[in-house]
Amino acid sequence: MTPPPDNSAALSTRSVLAGEGSGGGTLPDWAPYGAFGGALVFCAAVLAALGWFTVALMLVFGCLVAIVAIYAWSRPVEGRRRAKDRAITMAIVAAFGIAMAPLISLLYEVVKRGAAGISWEFFTSDARGAITGGGAEHAIVGTLIITACAVVISVPIGLMAAIYMNEYGRGPLLRALTFFVDVMTGIPSIVAGLFAYALFELFLGPGIQMGIMGSLALSVLMIPIVIRSAEEVLKIVPNHLREASYALGTPKWKTITKVVLPTAFAGLVTGVMLATARIIGETAPLLVTTGVVSSLNTNPFQGRMQNLAVYAYNEYRSPGVMKQASYDRAWAAALTLIAIVMILNVIARLVYRRYKTEIR
Amino acid sequence: MEGRKLKGRFGSRGKTEAEEGHNTMSQAGPVTETSSKPAAGANARRAKTIEAKEVNLYYGDFHAVEGVSMTIEPNKVTALIGSSGCGKTTFLRSLNRMHELTPGATVKGNIELDGEDIYANGVDPVAVRRLIGMVFQQPNPFPTMSIYDNVAAGLNFNSGRVSKADKDAIVEKSLRGAHLWDEVKDRLDKPGSGLSGGQQQRLCIARATAVSPEVLLMDEPCSALDPVATLAIEDLIGELKKEFTIAIVTHNMQQASRASDITAFFNLDESGKPGHLVEIGPTDEIFTKPQKKETEDYVSGRFG
Amino acid sequence: MPEVRTEYQQELDNLEASALGGLDLVSSALSRTLEAIEHQDIELAQIVVADDDRIDGRYLEVHQALITLLATQSPVATDLRLISAMLHVLKNIERMGDQCVNICKVIPMSGHEPPADEEMVKLILSMGTHTKSLISQAKRAFEERNVEMARDLVVRDDVVDELNRECFRLALAIGDDADKREWAMTMLLTARAIERIADNAVDIGEQVAFVVTGLFREFEDASHPDANA
Repeated sequence: MTPPPDNSAALSTRSVLAGEGSGGGTLPDWAPYGAFGGALVFCAAVLAALGWFTVALMLVFGCLVAIVAIYAWSRPVEGRRRAKDRAITMAIVAAFGIAMAPLISLLYEVVKRGAAGISWEFFTSDARGAITGGGAEHAIVGTLIITACAVVISVPIGLMAAIYMNEYGRGPLLRALTFFVDVMTGIPSIVAGLFAYALFELFLGPGIQMGIMGSLALSVLMIPIVIRSAEEVLKIVPNHLREASYALGTPKWKTITKVVLPTAFAGLVTGVMLATARIIGETAPLLVTTGVVSSLNTNPFQGRMQNLAVYAYNEYRSPGVMKQASYDRAWAAALTLIAIVMILNVIARLVYRRYKTEIR
Repeated sequence: MEGRKLKGRFGSRGKTEAEEGHNTMSQAGPVTETSSKPAAGANARRAKTIEAKEVNLYYGDFHAVEGVSMTIEPNKVTALIGSSGCGKTTFLRSLNRMHELTPGATVKGNIELDGEDIYANGVDPVAVRRLIGMVFQQPNPFPTMSIYDNVAAGLNFNSGRVSKADKDAIVEKSLRGAHLWDEVKDRLDKPGSGLSGGQQQRLCIARATAVSPEVLLMDEPCSALDPVATLAIEDLIGELKKEFTIAIVTHNMQQASRASDITAFFNLDESGKPGHLVEIGPTDEIFTKPQKKETEDYVSGRFG
Repeated sequence: MPEVRTEYQQELDNLEASALGGLDLVSSALSRTLEAIEHQDIELAQIVVADDDRIDGRYLEVHQALITLLATQSPVATDLRLISAMLHVLKNIERMGDQCVNICKVIPMSGHEPPADEEMVKLILSMGTHTKSLISQAKRAFEERNVEMARDLVVRDDVVDELNRECFRLALAIGDDADKREWAMTMLLTARAIERIADNAVDIGEQVAFVVTGLFREFEDASHPDANA
């Protein structure tokens, strides 16, 4: 027989449910925005009065003031815990906003200035013989070829290294390999470029510049990234899938090719895409290895090849007779690069969603 | 089929092994009584026996299982029971040479399939695993493959071309044998991960039987399943034993008493000590009049 | 190792005590029955008949509890054998109680007159006393799980059987007299009933052996009187 509800117990339950502090009320839904807006206005006014008004300062101080404001507003209405909650939420959102600001600002600038240089000519003609006009077709094609060759070199090597390290490696050798891969991820890009140049100089003599040399330099940068991300993805493949395959009497290498790699496929593709996006904009190594040239070259094994990164640098550094046009083209090249990276990212996401496997 | 050749270079097992790790015992009869259950029907395939003699298992220096000698009888279900950490799963995994996949794990003693030492020199572990299949605790169909491809995985992975017609026949037979055919025959090309837990486990069983092993090892196959699915799998095991030799590790005693013909009880003296075989006998005897007090205490639930 | 399933163990012990307590009830019923025979006490006989409800009640109650224990606790090995034995023992107890009732129901038939034959009455009382000690021996054998004591019940039952045969011979002799014939047959029925009670006690002994050894064998089968226990 349960005793009748005890009033004193009910009271404490109620107060527990209500939370500490007085509280019991709720701020209106627009409270955070209101606090932020109000803080901005307040800071703007103060800064203007002091003569120090800039948008950046207003934003930074506005964030700080907003955090204090929302806390002060919420505390008497909702209680201490909820007030702290709101204040911290505001702080986190503000931090996010501040982190995003440079990115948004950058995109805005690139799009604004690059749009000026975008034209049909930009995409269809190269710069051979051009004094005032010309386009970046050779640079675009060059970027694509050099990057493609780098991918072709890096992916098999990186993937097989990752497979070795994850599936076969053990003991001191594995530790040494991991260490070296870590070191390689930190190599400065110019060093990679010099390495590629020096290697070809050994065999072909000085002064040679070729598309493939650039690909090699980029590979040096790309391989450790591919290894890292491939290793992570392979680690995620659950061991019991491998065991299921072994239990069927499957040799190890076949287990890897038929079970582990297909399962990790989506992750691997994403990793490769991201590594590609990372190295596609490298300028320093390509300056050294592929040089500057103004005509279209589609053979990576012969002669210099232009690419978008170096092209942008060049247009900026040595503008032609019409300076502004050159600057516009430089910005347009940067915009194109960003566009290519975005497209790669989108493809990576689509591939991931299409091929990802739910692993329980 | 190349997988059938298990004789090592040393030929018959009467010879003394030169290797340190193996000691062959001349006679190590297990403590079984002849089961009173009738033999399987006339059409049943005569499956093979696994004989373990003084098996000791190690993880590096740690002695995990000591001195196990027992027989896994053909066309019967042998259940391995015992408290956690007593070595029953470790022992099971040594029967199809999965134990050695753990780095540093070693095996001492003799394990014979149909009289052939599976750890002899020159024996390919991959070949052993084709003859001794395994089903795991967590249902694990290959996520990138359809149901059809999952069942046929063993055939596809192993060498030798199998014609499409043959493959279809084998897939259907395996799925029928696993009581799954009717539920999936219309969606063989759908991914295996779309099934319920019990169905997935039956799919794994179909996959394991598709390569026609002699022995089927099961490591707590029903632990991750709900009670209805569990009973379905137990019924299935009762059917499968007509064709295969089955050994199943379970920590559910009622399952052992329901589903097995022979029960082996493993125990630890204390944590840190190796696990050992305490008693093995027909299931009805183990659960009505066990011979050892340790066994009695365990099955009565007098200790965990 | 920590004690587990203490409540279950306790329940099992309680039920065993309850079941064996039924034997005490039977013993006292038998005592009163013998007294009723000795003094031709019809009222006492009626009390015994009425009190049999208690024995039946005990049977139903413990039986139900045992079934519940089987369903909910999945007993195995010795526990299972014990429960099976208790179910049999309960049946034996209930049968023993019924035999007492059978005896008490025929007592009025012999009327209030002094018994027709003193010797017959003495034989029957002796059978009864012997059977009572058989019952208490069976109870102790079960409590102590003593197989030897249980086997001894067979030997002692032979005495009761012998006394029964004597009653039969005596009844035949008395039966020539028409007046005493009816009384003699009543006494024969009584002797038979007491002999059945003793057999039930022996059956309890067989259950003791089953609990301890896991083997069920009849100590002495009526169809194989020479087979050794």
